[in-house]
Amino acid sequence: MSEERGERRPRPRGGRRPRRKVCAFCVDKIAYIDYKDVNRLRRFTNERGKILPRRMSGNCAKHQRQLGEAIKRARAIALMPYTAE
Amino acid sequence: MNRYEMIYIIDTGLEETARKELIEKVSGLITANGGEIEKVDETWGKRRLAYAIDYKTEGWYVIVTFQAPADLPRELERNLQIDENVLRYLVVKLVEKRSAVKPRPVRQAAEEAQAPEAAEEAPEAVAETADIDAE
Repeated sequence: MSEERGERRPRPRGGRRPRRKVCAFCVDKIAYIDYKDVNRLRRFTNERGKILPRRMSGNCAKHQRQLGEAIKRARAIALMPYTAE
Repeated sequence: MNRYEMIYIIDTGLEETARKELIEKVSGLITANGGEIEKVDETWGKRRLAYAIDYKTEGWYVIVTFQAPADLPRELERNLQIDENVLRYLVVKLVEKRSAVKPRPVRQAAEEAQAPEAAEEAPEAVAETADIDAE
């Protein structure tokens, strides 16, 4: 995997084509996103506590839906902030 | 019967005996209404809240997993709402974690049909997924 990435490094000038992101939950084979797992969920919010969009997190649609649900539950019981500052 | 998970937050101003009593009361409420408690988890215990609730910055977290008929959570929530020492609560229905995501049907079928050739088949499958990643 890492070797392949090295080959593809030279990118077309000017236009930026970022690396295709893969869903972190699919990679870890997580079937159920637990709202109690705050450390994991926190990676998918920005420093203001907003949920990152899919274009930034790279999650698949299925997991992004689950993630949104999990973060909202975590907020409801004060595990995560609705907003910071 | 469904499986549920409930989290509630108790005011840390409550002393230990009163807290134990409250937990006991909530557990009793579940069993009295035809529920069956699997686990009462207090390992989190006192925890900082992500935001202040009634000007309190800490709370005592209790996690309860239980099986109960579908009309119990409503009754449970009604009672938790009345108790002013409960800052927050959340009752969630547990999904069967294993069946939530089905294995890819194509691959499963291939494995079952060609069990003896599995050793040959496996590296090929890995190579295929690697190609997809590279694109």
